[in-house]
Amino acid sequence: MADTSLEIAEAAQQDPEAAIKIKSRGVQVYYADNHAIIDVDVDILDKTVTAFIGPSGCGKSTFLRCLNRMNDTIDVARVEGTITLDGEDIYDPAVDPVQLRAKVGMVFQKPNPFPKSIYDNVAYGPKIHGLARNRAELDEIVERALRRGAIWDEVKDRLHAPGTGLSGGQQQRLCIARAIATEPEVLLMDEPCSALDPIATAQVEDLIDELRQNYSVVIVTHSMQQAARVSQKTAFFHLGNLVEYGDTEQIFTNPRDSRTESYITGRIG
Amino acid sequence: MTDISAGVPPTATTEPKTSLVASDARTRRRNAAEKRFRAYGMVAIGVGLFFLIVLAVSIVRSGLPAFTETVLSVEFTVSEEQFEDAESQILKTAVYEAIFVNALNEQLQAKNLDVAFDAAAIGRLVGKPGATIRTFFRENGDQLGQPVNFDLTAASRVDGYINGRVTRDTLVDSRFLQGSDLDLVDALIEAGIVKERFNWNFLTGTDSGVDNPGGAGIGASVIGSFFMMLVVLVLSLPIGVAASIYLEEFAPKNRFTDLIEVNISNLAAVPSIVFGILGLAVFIQFMHLPQSAPLVGGLVLTLMTLPTIIISTRASLKAVPPSIRDAALGVGASKMQAVFHHVLPLAAPGILTGTIIGLAQALGETAPLLLIGMVGYVAREYPEAFLSGFVEPNSAMPAQIYTWASRADAGFYEKAWGGIIVLLIFLLAMNIIAVLLRRRFERRW
Repeated sequence: MADTSLEIAEAAQQDPEAAIKIKSRGVQVYYADNHAIIDVDVDILDKTVTAFIGPSGCGKSTFLRCLNRMNDTIDVARVEGTITLDGEDIYDPAVDPVQLRAKVGMVFQKPNPFPKSIYDNVAYGPKIHGLARNRAELDEIVERALRRGAIWDEVKDRLHAPGTGLSGGQQQRLCIARAIATEPEVLLMDEPCSALDPIATAQVEDLIDELRQNYSVVIVTHSMQQAARVSQKTAFFHLGNLVEYGDTEQIFTNPRDSRTESYITGRIG
Repeated sequence: MTDISAGVPPTATTEPKTSLVASDARTRRRNAAEKRFRAYGMVAIGVGLFFLIVLAVSIVRSGLPAFTETVLSVEFTVSEEQFEDAESQILKTAVYEAIFVNALNEQLQAKNLDVAFDAAAIGRLVGKPGATIRTFFRENGDQLGQPVNFDLTAASRVDGYINGRVTRDTLVDSRFLQGSDLDLVDALIEAGIVKERFNWNFLTGTDSGVDNPGGAGIGASVIGSFFMMLVVLVLSLPIGVAASIYLEEFAPKNRFTDLIEVNISNLAAVPSIVFGILGLAVFIQFMHLPQSAPLVGGLVLTLMTLPTIIISTRASLKAVPPSIRDAALGVGASKMQAVFHHVLPLAAPGILTGTIIGLAQALGETAPLLLIGMVGYVAREYPEAFLSGFVEPNSAMPAQIYTWASRADAGFYEKAWGGIIVLLIFLLAMNIIAVLLRRRFERRW
């Protein structure tokens, strides 16, 4: 643990412009009696792609879901510790999780477009948050989101076709477009490419790289190559512990913890 | 993987190689078992279909006579002199009856059918035709002197004779119809005067007394059932759907909600007569709502339908993939927005189907109506206005069928079967609507 905090302090020193977006301290997550996340401290930087890697069941997705309080929907889940977004505690009783989720968007493992038209999929978030005053503004928001989701050219002629009729890769990019249509500040992605083929994966990875210009992106991935390709920061989770957190390059070339080394060289996991 | 292959005994490799073309004993046994199972399945379906066909044929055969009525169709002329002469008499209808008997006689003789009969026999066949004829000419004076066709409804036993229900043997001691009358009926059939025609009164009419099966109609009880279903729909759909949404999407999972869940499942299995006695105690004895009223029937059936609707609604809410809820929550929808914008529309076809099936079940339910006085009530009148339809005593289709089936006169027997046909048509229509709605609203994801 001492190592990790040292690492964070170093990171902040090395790159003073990269502001800390999300800060977690002593986060514990329990599923009923199961202690799923143990004492996680991590600082997620703005305009940076942070990858969470680790073997299955290590708690990386659980921790990701803490960051926009999606764990609230699970009755038996209990979160302790503090997580702040721009210095505000997101687990403060005064915080409305709905407002939080508008700021912290999420893309899921399996593409899950609503069984509605492509347009309605993207327009839904802006509509419920009242981001558009009229139809023309909404059209504009939808187009911008679809363009930034790198899917505009493929769907611009069939905006009113059902979103579920798209291919898997297109659906996932549609879900990303839907997530960024509400202008979030942080984008959480839970294994966004696990259901996609290599070509679609490459498209989504390019997209993630572009999204870094505007957002802080946190991505959970099983693929170490993917983490190495898209992220600047990597956190390695093991059995609910955050084992190591640092620059991606350093984690993959010169891991400090023996467990990290074993995982990235394929001996555990 | 490696563990499993290591566990295979080494002897397996020493066995001679088997051919793909020759099946071994184990494969043959397996194939035989599969064939047997298919045969069982086909036999089961065959038995089911056989009984379905037997049921359908017997219902149609026994029920169709209820939809026809027998009429004596006689054409004759009443001149103005005859009319004035009759109106000047004391027993006016007797004169008209004599005119009718003469006309009938002439027509029979014209066809060389010589049967002796008197006004009393005519009375037994068609009641008192004189009044009908007099009323017609008093209201339509311009028809005097012209041939007019009268269709006089025959007594239900004449109907029964034509449908084979009444024979000369069964009439031995009857004071309603005598054996000699049947000779007259035979002659009238030969002369083409006795005709069968569609009995609109059965569909639109009201229930008759215990001695007049011919005049009984199911119309009033259809209206009674309609008002009951209206009550059931208006109460059970919103209550049931709201309860299921709360239980499925919002309620915390604890012992209390578990208890509620178990009890809802149990309620669905409670015999319907229990709901009837509950309705009697609560709605009639405690709340003093009117007896035999569709409102009370509807309330009782609502209690009975609620568990069905709640169970099917919860099942269709459960069938909506959780990824849809995550997606909605992920873009910042509130729990309620996620449910109402995304989950409910996807569950709607299932909810509608469940509701219509529940309504259909309620429509055919008789036992609870026994205890609140709808069975046995003689629905002689239509409700006066829309709102009074809820509180005026009425019967309902299954209750009406039960009432007819328990009456002594055999004429009511075929009315009961006819009522079953009407009820089945309504049920079939509701099921078809359920299927169409499901097709219309079903969305894929």
